[in-house]
Amino acid sequence: MSNVLLFNLTTVLFGAASVLYLGALYAKNDRIAVYGSWVCALAAVTSTAALGVRWLESYRMGIGRIPVTNLYESLVFFAWSVNLFYMAVERKYGSRTIGAFVMPIAFLTMLFAVTNDSTIQPLVPALQSYWLHAHVITCFVGYAAFAVSAGVAVMYLLKSRREREGVSGGVVGRLPESRVLDDLVYRAIVWGFPFLTAGIITGAAWANYAWGTYWSWDPKETWSLIVWLVYAVYLHARITRGWHGRRAAILSIVGFGTTLFCYLGVNLLLSGLHSYGGG
Amino acid sequence: MDRLWGFFTSVKLAVFTLIALAVASVFGTLVEQNLPREKYREIYKDWAFELMDRTDLFDMYHSWWFLALLVLFTVNLACCTIDRFPKALNVVRNPRTKLDDDLADTLPLAERWKRKGAAGEWAPRYADALSSLFAKPLVAVEGEEVHMYAEAGMASRFGVYVTHLSIIVIFLGAIVGSVAGFKGFANIPEGESVSQVPVRGGSRMQDLGFTLRCNSFRVETYPSGQPKAYISDLSVIDGGREVLRKRNVVVNDPLRYKGIWFYQASYGEAGGAVARVEVHGAGGSPPEVLSLAAGRPVAIPGYGFVSAVEYRQDYQGAGPALRLIVEKPGVPPSELWLPEGGNPGTSAGGDGKPPISFRGLAPWMFTGLQVARDPGVGIVWVGCGLMILGIVMAFFLSHRRVWLRLSKGADGRLEVVLGGAANRNRLAFEKAFGKIRDGLKGVGA
Ligand code: HEM
Repeated sequence: MSNVLLFNLTTVLFGAASVLYLGALYAKNDRIAVYGSWVCALAAVTSTAALGVRWLESYRMGIGRIPVTNLYESLVFFAWSVNLFYMAVERKYGSRTIGAFVMPIAFLTMLFAVTNDSTIQPLVPALQSYWLHAHVITCFVGYAAFAVSAGVAVMYLLKSRREREGVSGGVVGRLPESRVLDDLVYRAIVWGFPFLTAGIITGAAWANYAWGTYWSWDPKETWSLIVWLVYAVYLHARITRGWHGRRAAILSIVGFGTTLFCYLGVNLLLSGLHSYGGG
Repeated sequence: MDRLWGFFTSVKLAVFTLIALAVASVFGTLVEQNLPREKYREIYKDWAFELMDRTDLFDMYHSWWFLALLVLFTVNLACCTIDRFPKALNVVRNPRTKLDDDLADTLPLAERWKRKGAAGEWAPRYADALSSLFAKPLVAVEGEEVHMYAEAGMASRFGVYVTHLSIIVIFLGAIVGSVAGFKGFANIPEGESVSQVPVRGGSRMQDLGFTLRCNSFRVETYPSGQPKAYISDLSVIDGGREVLRKRNVVVNDPLRYKGIWFYQASYGEAGGAVARVEVHGAGGSPPEVLSLAAGRPVAIPGYGFVSAVEYRQDYQGAGPALRLIVEKPGVPPSELWLPEGGNPGTSAGGDGKPPISFRGLAPWMFTGLQVARDPGVGIVWVGCGLMILGIVMAFFLSHRRVWLRLSKGADGRLEVVLGGAANRNRLAFEKAFGKIRDGLKGVGA
């Protein structure tokens, strides 16, 4: 069960990182945010180790399989992806304020994860496929990108309101310019969209190999299509109708809402073929 | 006519149909699809049932209005793409290769500097530098002026078209599949065969063109009792003989023959019992488990047939046993009693007969198979590949263009104007442009 201990430690670290980033924002102190970055890096190490250990433990139990096959595992994998995606953004944009809006998403995800059954269960026959790996990984990278996009969209909404009011000080004053935020909302979607597309396609390929139909309008499939359509609307509204700023940010948040429903709501509220059951 | 074209090429319509498709799909997931009608009567009040039935909400994804929405979406997509493609082609085919003052004013990135000397003597050096810094330029000499134009990442302009085309290709594949293919299912009890299967959702039977036999079915479990694998042992009989046998048809590993795929989908008890016997192959090949229903001969590969004829709870005070008849063409049939769980060595019958042992009685099972032929599926995968390719082209490539003009300035010196533009990722291009500018300014300095 050492993997669960490591995941619990990761949860604490995500919490600490969130507090540090938020504290840095409120205290207007960049040094605190630097600690936040270090904690994020440490959390990346422990969560990666936890995934590896869990993988190894499943082999030791004679049922070796990739640790992304039930609700607990998918949640920790999602949090892991969000953390890594965020660290990449932080490096590229050199702004630590984004962490205050994104790391809490990873933290809350882990809090939810630890309330679920964390035992390693063997794979039911339907999941024994190499497609599982490609499908789950692509989907979750997409979800992580959308999570970052929505976090930044919230920042944009806060920031642009202040800019319109002509206020430059305060906590919001420390956020990057709204122009940069708007661009980042878009860019995260530009990464998420191809991954989601690949996730849907690998899912279809797998369904075809397992059931003989690449598309059967199962609720999970349908919701992933809905998510995909929402982001397609975002891209078209932006490139051809000039939707920037506020409307685009709201659409990104709506998109992440549908993503969350696709990921959790479908399993908890609707019935279907996918297996991240209600824990 | 123009109004109509304008309607079908508008992105507003696209945004509308995308949202409409999304909203309709939400309904489809809230109302469970394709349940038996009685179920819906239980769930919904009468008026709601009538309304939903009238609007095909119970089989929404195949309703006329959902199909109409898909057609509208496709027509819109096709028109939009046809409308814009020539413009994109034009940008690429007839690039503006000359940096005149109009263009220089509109370019996001531009830089000017002066040099001593004539355009003719600087031009080759700048062309070389531009080649090594960015891309080989097109050079045009016009009197005293020299124009250069270089570009990279042109494919970026076509990502959109590849993506849009891919959607149409996928739909095409889906149409081919639904017109020329079929989906069915087959429940085959162990030891029995089918050569026709009922088609899903209809009363039609589909001829397979060959016979499929289920030799046996079994469930493997983990030590905890959870199912580990559902395993069908299937044979294809075509032209009167077994042409293909797959002993491990499991979920995620179908059997395929003549374009028809058989997927392990379900199972159940067929009623009654079968005797499981283990036949040990010649020369140490792995033993094979056969399921024998009473009185039905089953082939022993490489030998003949075996059939179970009688089972006794207690045979001569030695516990349960099974009476078998083993046959081989040209040899008189031999009969033997096998004790349950016995050692195969003790049941060997000589004359090349393979050793057989009796593993006990088991419920007679049937395997449930999804059966599908879909000749459109290849087209769908091509479409999916194009889609990924198109999206990557659209998002991660950038059409970068650089212009250079050498002309005589008012003060008699050589005036150099450098301009640049990119359709994507402008920040990255700004940096690249800075490098090109510094490189060119360094020429001959
Ligand atoms: C869900 C289906 C669709 C997908 C996945 C899709 C995909 C894309 C992508 C990836 C781009 C490039 C966006 C960018 O450069 O940022 C794009 C642009 C565009 N799409 Fe779509 N599209 C879809 C449906 C449609 C439809 C139905 C129309 C019909 C009007 C349409 C019209 C356009 C136009 C006009 C552009 C801009 C092209 C340009 O840059 O000039 N799209 N689409």
